[in-house]
Amino acid sequence: MNADAKKSLVLNGSAIVFVALAGAFLLDLWGRPVATVPIVPVAPDFTNTATVRLSAAELVRTGGDASGLDCYVCHEKGKTPVIHFGTNNLVILPKEHEDLVMRHGRNDRNDNCYNCHDADNLDMLKTRDGHKSKITESSRLCGSCHGPTYRDWEVGIHGRTSGFWDRQRGAMVRQDCTSCHDPHSPAFPAMKPGPRPNQLHPEKDVAENGKETH
Amino acid sequence: MSDHNCNCGGNGSRHCAPGNGKMDRRSFLRKSTVLASGIAAIAASLAPLRELTDLGSVDEFLQKHYKELSPAEMEKALERIRKEVERQYGIRPHLRDLKPMDGVEFVYCLNLTRCIGCRKCVHACVAENNQSRSPEIQYIRVLKMPNGTFDMEKGDHNYAPETVPEKGFFYMPVQCHQCKNPPCVKVCPVDATWQEADGITVIDYDWCIGCRYCEAACPYFARRFNFATPSVPKEQINSDMAYLGNRPRHKGVMEKCHFCIQRTREGKYPACLEVCPTGARKFGNILDPDSEVSYILKNKRVFVLKEEVGTLPRFFYYFDV
Repeated sequence: MNADAKKSLVLNGSAIVFVALAGAFLLDLWGRPVATVPIVPVAPDFTNTATVRLSAAELVRTGGDASGLDCYVCHEKGKTPVIHFGTNNLVILPKEHEDLVMRHGRNDRNDNCYNCHDADNLDMLKTRDGHKSKITESSRLCGSCHGPTYRDWEVGIHGRTSGFWDRQRGAMVRQDCTSCHDPHSPAFPAMKPGPRPNQLHPEKDVAENGKETH
Repeated sequence: MSDHNCNCGGNGSRHCAPGNGKMDRRSFLRKSTVLASGIAAIAASLAPLRELTDLGSVDEFLQKHYKELSPAEMEKALERIRKEVERQYGIRPHLRDLKPMDGVEFVYCLNLTRCIGCRKCVHACVAENNQSRSPEIQYIRVLKMPNGTFDMEKGDHNYAPETVPEKGFFYMPVQCHQCKNPPCVKVCPVDATWQEADGITVIDYDWCIGCRYCEAACPYFARRFNFATPSVPKEQINSDMAYLGNRPRHKGVMEKCHFCIQRTREGKYPACLEVCPTGARKFGNILDPDSEVSYILKNKRVFVLKEEVGTLPRFFYYFDV
């Protein structure tokens, strides 16, 4: 092999290597970073600032259908409905009120409609000491038994607040007791939790007793 | 006379280059092919540089530290960021630099009796503060803790039952505690994070070098790092932005909870508080004796997390007794 042929071999060879390298770089044969786990967008429910239920006061304020609050559409004025109790001393709900869940108070000690409703005027609520209030102004009635909670609610410690912390710039919006608590079954309802933090290596996490460690 | 002095024995310029240094056609073509393929290979090896779209502008590179910016320079920086946001997300943001208010020091109180662990605060925070959706960045971590202990090792942040709360557990959301003695600020080598007069520890995202010392120093796992270019869907971007708050971040910088600076410095409650369904979260000005947080600190038995490390948090937990 003479010098000329050798030179031509080297030059051709390097040209081929360079072209191959260029192709390899462009096609990225060394691979990209491992694809991350696709993350499902969070449902809008979890960023919604609405209260868990609609209170009677809010229903009236927003101009909703308040016909359900008018007791005398069905009941007869001046005639006190009689409450029937079962053998276990629990109220037997008439079928018109079957949608109610009666679970106010532990051991069912508050299982009597007239503990809160005014027997003489069903459109009103009545505390044990005789103070009457509208159904849309129930918080004071709740406070007649739940004193410490009512005190906290009055100063803004119990229950939801929204709007402005700086009162000079805007109002702090408060919610009624019944915006969060069903008066007939006041324990705060259990909720579906939002999605947990996304795990970068799900299969590894499962291997470690189903629990991520970092 | 001879105008070539090669010794190849050939007849003049037909075979080798003439004496003035010119090469012949064949050798020129061959050498240029090698050169061209070599250049192509180098160019191809630099192909990943095409993906470097997040480099930032010259203006950003030359921008001074937040505390050294004059009002005119700040306005210039804000305009640059507005344009960047407009280019990237297609909306003109309401971006401004909000200063601390006089006579205000923010404090957060969280009622652990009320928290049910629904994680709504986590996701409302992500939406409000334009955190990256993928890879995922969240400022708030909710720990599920067994009743009767504060051993953080027993906390679980991966709980996913059908409904919460679960019997026998309480839930403890943890986010930036805005410490009065913040270890993250002490370790920052470039002063990219500092404590403001209203108690919020902020980050200048344009000054941060991404060394992650602050992440290591924080005892509450409050700081997050943008390992990759943050991605926020265009239709989900929150256009209400503050310079030290929720403006979009670049890859390679730290971020963390800043008590929703864009809301709280305008008198509003933070997003996590607004969304909390139980009202477990309380926020306000501790220097105002009539605020909710003042009432809580006066009347409830509050405690701070990891009191022994001496960080003096402005984030208080309490139980209703």
